[in-house]
Amino acid sequence: MTAETDADVHECRRIGLPAIFAAFFLLGVTSFGGNTAAWLFHQIVNRRHWVTDAQFLSDVALGRIMPGSGGVNLTVQVGQRLRAGVGAVAAVVGLLSGPLVVVLALAAAYARIGRSPAAHAVLEGIAAAAIGLTFATGLKLLPRGSARLGPLAVTLATVLCVGVLRWPMLPVVLSLAPISIGLALMQGRNA
Amino acid sequence: MPDDFRTLLALVLVFVPLSLLSIGGGASLLADMEHQSVSVHGWTTAREFADLFAISRAAPGPGTMLAALIGWKAAGWAGAVAATVALYLPSSLLVYGAARLWGRWRGSVWHTAVERGLAPIAAGLILSGGIAVLRISPGGAAVWTAAVAATVLLLCWPRLHPLVLFAAGGALFGLTALW
Repeated sequence: MTAETDADVHECRRIGLPAIFAAFFLLGVTSFGGNTAAWLFHQIVNRRHWVTDAQFLSDVALGRIMPGSGGVNLTVQVGQRLRAGVGAVAAVVGLLSGPLVVVLALAAAYARIGRSPAAHAVLEGIAAAAIGLTFATGLKLLPRGSARLGPLAVTLATVLCVGVLRWPMLPVVLSLAPISIGLALMQGRNA
Repeated sequence: MPDDFRTLLALVLVFVPLSLLSIGGGASLLADMEHQSVSVHGWTTAREFADLFAISRAAPGPGTMLAALIGWKAAGWAGAVAATVALYLPSSLLVYGAARLWGRWRGSVWHTAVERGLAPIAAGLILSGGIAVLRISPGGAAVWTAAVAATVLLLCWPRLHPLVLFAAGGALFGLTALW
């Protein structure tokens, strides 16, 4: 949240590269239905406390507006916060190596799996639970409290425009960001 | 130049630009990937491409693992690795550079305001992502119901491990299909 918290993460709790690789490997092979961000929040922020909520959300936002996969971009940034360049490499290689093997194994086995309705149903059930994790994460991260009504309105506007009305994400984010940053500046001044 | 090497080079030349143009996530890449691999290079037929897309959706990890499958069809294991690296490396370097630059202003009033201002938007984007996946899911009402039930369970019991829930969801849907 502040400069101090950031320094704490870097200096006091120097996390080993194998630990970073292992955490992101687990994340990769278990993130179904494009919910890498939700899983990362659960595993890295909530359970391991490697980064703060605020750092996580900031990385999510930057990861989405930059080119590339939002989940991979988020992983690069969190890895970088943990151990700079080598941390980012360990995190991304960890995240992608498992799914790469799984997806190729699935492709090799597709002739059999493709015809089984039960296998499709199992995957659908996993996907449904994964969507639940995404929603639960988003709801947990909603701005709370009476002082945060402005930010909450920004969140709702984002959901309405991008999620419900399916407007293109980039223009929506670029229009809402100045408003939201302005709100944060005013609140910072009052506080 | 041997043929294998030429195919790998072609894969890299297709996926590097896609990596840098893919603003807004992997979904925006799909049309381009299909055009390149079916019409331009003939790495897959249209039918194979649809199959590979279904497989990539079923597998864990980022949805864009489809690139690895196209590379695999075109040039085996080496192709899969080449396509994956070509798709993720350029965008990762870019975001790494941006994050480092951004980190230099850490502690300034503006830095704090921008990070705090982006947070509510990020929360909205996470929720929108869930809605988008729900919308393209072929399962209909059953998937919607299960997704809402999973959300409620996770919010009421924060200690519930999501993997337990994933397994339960898979088992429930699988058994219903067998019935």
